[in-house]
Amino acid sequence: MNKLFDLRFVIGLFFLIVGLLVLVYYLISTSNKGTINLFCGIVFVLFGIIMLLASRVKTERRENL
Amino acid sequence: MKLALIDYAIIAVYFLFVIGIGFLLKRRIKTGNDFLMSNRSIPLWITSLAFISANLGAQEVLGMAANGAKYGLYTVHFYWLGAALAMIFLGIFMMPFYYGSKARSVPEYLKLRFDEKTRTFNALTFAVMTVFSSGVSLYALAMLMQTILGWDFDVSIWMAAGVVLVYTFLGGLTSAVYNEVLQFFLIVLGIAPLVYIGLIKAGGWEGIVHHVEDAKLHVWKGLDNPSHNPMGVDLFSITFGLGFVLAFGYWCTDFLVVQRALISRNLNEAQRTPIIAAVPKILMPAIVILPGIVLLALQKQYSGFELPVNANGQTDYNMVMPLLLQKLYPNGILGVGITALIASFMSGMAGNVTAFNTVWTFDIYQSHIKKNASEKHYLYVGKATTIVGILISIATAYVARGFNSIMDLLQLVFSFVNAPLFATFFLGMFWKRTTGHGAFWGLLSGTTAAAFAHGVTVAEGKGGWITNIHEFYSGTSQAFTIAWISFIVCFIVTALISLATKPKSNEELVGLVYSLTPKQYNKSKVWYKNPLWLGMLVLLVTIIFNIIFF
Repeated sequence: MNKLFDLRFVIGLFFLIVGLLVLVYYLISTSNKGTINLFCGIVFVLFGIIMLLASRVKTERRENL
Repeated sequence: MKLALIDYAIIAVYFLFVIGIGFLLKRRIKTGNDFLMSNRSIPLWITSLAFISANLGAQEVLGMAANGAKYGLYTVHFYWLGAALAMIFLGIFMMPFYYGSKARSVPEYLKLRFDEKTRTFNALTFAVMTVFSSGVSLYALAMLMQTILGWDFDVSIWMAAGVVLVYTFLGGLTSAVYNEVLQFFLIVLGIAPLVYIGLIKAGGWEGIVHHVEDAKLHVWKGLDNPSHNPMGVDLFSITFGLGFVLAFGYWCTDFLVVQRALISRNLNEAQRTPIIAAVPKILMPAIVILPGIVLLALQKQYSGFELPVNANGQTDYNMVMPLLLQKLYPNGILGVGITALIASFMSGMAGNVTAFNTVWTFDIYQSHIKKNASEKHYLYVGKATTIVGILISIATAYVARGFNSIMDLLQLVFSFVNAPLFATFFLGMFWKRTTGHGAFWGLLSGTTAAAFAHGVTVAEGKGGWITNIHEFYSGTSQAFTIAWISFIVCFIVTALISLATKPKSNEELVGLVYSLTPKQYNKSKVWYKNPLWLGMLVLLVTIIFNIIFF
């Protein structure tokens, strides 16, 4: 539950979901899909993962103290 | 602009998250202090991003893109001259007084430094300004949604207000601040690809240099005469009016932004909050101003990039960002871009509502209506004030719909109030002889002088409601001039009345006035933990940017 209070976790989860939505849309859409969706989807997913990892590192450090 | 299911899904995910944050934080709110001041427990990186996000409202995202197209690179003065310096000054010189005095709000500092009437005057004007500003944000959001997406005006207003109400009511200031940080990343990551695609399509920076008139690609060149630059301003107005009076008046005394630093965990972090926030602030023109300049280059090379005209038959520069979203974004990323716009409006609105409920609860209710109630009582008052603030915002949005000029009027009132307020603070913090009577009458005279100056001058058809003794090249030039006039009037009146009235004793002013406050030398050897070194570095980068784009 503590993890949910960590803003990095919330932001990471948000961008991971949005990035995956954009990527899935790029993969399944047949017309006017736009390469920008592919690039942005990847960037959002990566940003989301980095934020999630950052929140995990902080939680582990707090537990070790 | 036609949204697809994917775009609506992204908007829905965003709404789900902002409301979810409110529900998550609800269990942490136990007292009025938790609700209104976040119990001074927010980490530095969050306060810094919230500091800049509270200002990243609709005016910033839509308005600065519009100014980018209208005035070109001169618009960056609002960042490199009109923000960075003031934010550094706030962190190094003013924050020790705000944070050190334990004041919970800017009006409360005025009570400690001066007297109750000065505090009440500032609290009332600020409360009115914030709640009306919040309403205008709501109105602008509903208008935008109606114009570009065809959404119903009433549904847009009630839906956006409902979402902001839920998360500010449940989680108070912490919830607003958390959402501001999420909104910051959304705005940056949602609009940055637009700038990138636009730049590529326009032929890169070379394409811009080739297709945009040279006068719009400089920051300082052409300021020798108002007719030599598209903003129609002169060097004095921009350096003194914007760079000193308006910038310092807004960033150093507006509780909406100062509140984000006051909730830091300690003084050092409170000092570093505005300085760290200055880093993304000086880079922000790439996200909010560059689109306007990119559009100018695209207009020269492609058809379909023409801006529409408004009801007065003038070019509607506010449509720069929506037009670029429509032309350059396919569905999918379009949903992210639209969500970023919605986020900017909601961020501006929530920032105003949370500042309003703090000032109302602490500076008006607690000091004039019920003094010694329990923390639980002030929590309920804070929550009730949140609902009232949102309802007034909704009412203002409907009033604004009927009167187009209310938005211009509101911006003007901001400059009427903030510019003289900085003179009061400047004298109060650095001249111990300044008195409460001097501060009060100085503020009143400065605000009256601003209104009078607006009444006797005209710019772009606005003002001159008394007579017309001078016509400005642009509204911006008029605003800068009014700001420095009101600052000087307030400064002189405050000084004269202070000399004729009895000041507070030295003992009463310890911690509130520079000369009577023990200097705190930062012993930190790490440069990024020292506000002074950090400030110097940000200043150096800002100067380099000014030289590059001279």
